[in-house]
Amino acid sequence: MSVVDPVSPLGNTLVPGRHGAAGDGAVRIAERRCDLVQVFARKGRAGDVAAAMLARFGSDLPGPGHTFDAPAFSALWVQPDGWLLVAPRSPEGALAKSIKAACGDTASVVEQTHGRSVIALSGGRAAWVLGKLSSLDLHGREFGPGRAAVSPVAGLSCVVHHRDAAPSYDLIVFATFARWFVTSLTHAAEETGYIVE
Amino acid sequence: MIRIACPFCGLRDETEFAYRGDATVSRPPADAPIEDFHDYVYRRANPRGWHVEWWHHAGGCRQFLKVVRHTMTHAVHSVGLASSTQVVPPE
Repeated sequence: MSVVDPVSPLGNTLVPGRHGAAGDGAVRIAERRCDLVQVFARKGRAGDVAAAMLARFGSDLPGPGHTFDAPAFSALWVQPDGWLLVAPRSPEGALAKSIKAACGDTASVVEQTHGRSVIALSGGRAAWVLGKLSSLDLHGREFGPGRAAVSPVAGLSCVVHHRDAAPSYDLIVFATFARWFVTSLTHAAEETGYIVE
Repeated sequence: MIRIACPFCGLRDETEFAYRGDATVSRPPADAPIEDFHDYVYRRANPRGWHVEWWHHAGGCRQFLKVVRHTMTHAVHSVGLASSTQVVPPE
């Protein structure tokens, strides 16, 4: 079971090439195939979870609105005592199993790799495009690299992860809504133009 | 548009939240008379002024929050965790 799933939830929604308006402000839109694991500390066990994750993976579990890049994954805060771990694809279920082995009964660990899709949006005007679909304050004084927020984007529950200063955003949505979501995103990016590789 | 300062997520739009009603009522004990349960389920004060309410941050951190909101002006006085006690300001 080491092969990534061959069919993307996006189907053929993203067509490679250059689309939308001409000019040099085009953003880049891509699907990032990631492993996703949800870790929710059980009641009163957040400290134990943090200790286990630090000992096994060298990962801090970030506080509200923040992220932490560990060697094996990025940890995104999604709710009090709850985190979403994002990692490159590995053999099916391996990351979730290793997290569960580390946390034991201190946390509920749920494999989300096939439950959610990660859509990457980047480029100089990425914040402008994202701003059309979200009410988040994306200004640098409020949001920036290393930050994450859970907030509706295009009316859909979404985890927004500001990955780097390009800026690059990971937009993590439920996989069954991914096609609709990407359609909204590409419509929003018509004005700047967008590139799908 | 009401903006609510979630203790975890910061200032967010009302559209991210679900209104979950009056936070001042409390469930009567199991052996209370039926009239008490009727009042608990149905009777509400409907004040004009400050009111303590449940708001669920459904589009964000999914926490239930206690919000002190003015029912005439929609001003938000304070926001706290569900376990908190919110002080209602004088009119």
